[in-house]
Amino acid sequence: MSFALRDKVMLLVAVLLAAIYLFPLYWMYVTAIKTGSAMFASPPSFWPSDPQWGIYGFVWESRNVGRYLWNSLVIASGAVSLIVVLGTGCAYVLARYRNVWVDIGLFLILMLQVLPASLMITPIFVGFSQLGLLDYPRVAVVLAIAAKSMPFFVVLVRATFMSVPMELEEAALVDGNSRFGAFFHIVLPLARNGILVSAILIFMQAFGEFVYSKSMIQAIEYQPASVGLNSFMGPNTNEWNNIMAYAAMYVTPILAIFVLLQRRIVSGLTSGALK
Amino acid sequence: MRKLLLSVSDGRGFDIGLVSVPLAFLFAMAGLPLIYNIVMSFQEVDMFSLGTFARPFVGFKNYITLFSLPETWPILRNTAVFVIASIAGQFTIGFALALFFWTGFPGSSWLRGLFLVSWVMPGLVVGAIWNWILSGDFGVLNYILREVGLVSGNIFWRSDPDFSLWAVVIANIWLGISFNMILLSVGLSAISRDLYEAAELDGANVVQRFFTITLPMMRSTIGAIIALGLIFTLQQFDLFAAITAGGPNNSSNVAQYWAWDMSFRQYDFAQGATISVIMIVFVMIASVVYVRSTRHEVRG
Repeated sequence: MSFALRDKVMLLVAVLLAAIYLFPLYWMYVTAIKTGSAMFASPPSFWPSDPQWGIYGFVWESRNVGRYLWNSLVIASGAVSLIVVLGTGCAYVLARYRNVWVDIGLFLILMLQVLPASLMITPIFVGFSQLGLLDYPRVAVVLAIAAKSMPFFVVLVRATFMSVPMELEEAALVDGNSRFGAFFHIVLPLARNGILVSAILIFMQAFGEFVYSKSMIQAIEYQPASVGLNSFMGPNTNEWNNIMAYAAMYVTPILAIFVLLQRRIVSGLTSGALK
Repeated sequence: MRKLLLSVSDGRGFDIGLVSVPLAFLFAMAGLPLIYNIVMSFQEVDMFSLGTFARPFVGFKNYITLFSLPETWPILRNTAVFVIASIAGQFTIGFALALFFWTGFPGSSWLRGLFLVSWVMPGLVVGAIWNWILSGDFGVLNYILREVGLVSGNIFWRSDPDFSLWAVVIANIWLGISFNMILLSVGLSAISRDLYEAAELDGANVVQRFFTITLPMMRSTIGAIIALGLIFTLQQFDLFAAITAGGPNNSSNVAQYWAWDMSFRQYDFAQGATISVIMIVFVMIASVVYVRSTRHEVRG
């Protein structure tokens, strides 16, 4: 009996803590449906009395949110495809062998993972402009994001490949498969879930990427949603309900994916980050 | 030729092919820029020489100029304050939450996972939300602080030089709590429950158990998480761009934002590269600590 009571109290406290932590998110959604005067009311109302659903449609039209989101989607998909194609094989080899060269390779990859984008953008920008890559700004951003995020993907997927028993692959080789065949028919299908979760994580990061896009994409019709949000927020803006509506449209798809795949994402993250 | 093809599909060539293409890509896209960055920090770069590789070398001039600027030391100090305050806040709150959820009750793992939502949100969105929450006249944080009685007047978080850096620190702590908590939870769950039962039988109380079992057992995890926090905090750029843009008058500027600002706002690419080189050295030191402590984890 006392145990059940303890559980209930703990659960109540936990819900309260989660509510406090997620309050900024709630505040975004509430502000996004407030009128101009309700937004600046004092004291602020924590429950919208007169929800203005029309703000969403208005912001979608006036700020061209569709185009921005499309660019984010194109950039993120391009980066993720490149990372998955290149990174999966790399992670497989790094998981399969254990020697000095693999240790050195892993060390270099971990070192690359930590380089801050805002520090790397200066040489990347100058180098890309000399190569003429900045004429294709979205391609340039995809390449830069791929280089930035691939190490993280390799570390996560390597942990997945480690959990695939090597005996299965050896049995396939004994049965007459080539290395090529064993990799594609035995190992890859077994690691599919881990690769998928890692790819989704990378996608969500690339979807919100800002530094590279802001620096390399000058033409407004190629800018992703993060840059659009940045230019929406002027220094003395007072359209916070519109900005929050924009932010809500930007972040809701990501939140939906997160809620659907929460368990897998959490376990995928924790397995890679500390091992 | 046939032999080579056979090797690629069914031998060592397969592994080498799989690993060499990504490594070549990473070298071209991350290794070369790193080297180029160092080269540029010793060159004179202006808008006219941007397109050519043949730029005059000027030795340590960029570094000397950098350290003679009046804003350099305040910005480096800001960076240190930002890093230390963010990590202290994230780690303390994250550890407290991890310990709370570790006690275990129905729904605890699901609710804990909910906290990770901040990790997947775009940095610009997090910055925009906090920009609005921290707004001076109409911000909800000022309202709550006034109601609780902590402050009597509004704090102008973004425009008061005494508070602007702390505005970003608050947002960054919120952002970082989740990964600290999740990774600390992983570390906690690896400690055997038997140890606690034995200690309890021997009469150790909660505080004693925490300091004699939990902390020592978590040592390498804590080292890894603090190093990781240092790496993530030094990567934080979006929040500065979305909340204060380094202002007012550099009071909330930090090195990683300043490097970008130099290159892309003031078009001084040589100075931008110089700041980057100095900061990358710091990041590298942090990552060596991180890699060493995760190594330890795998062996132990």
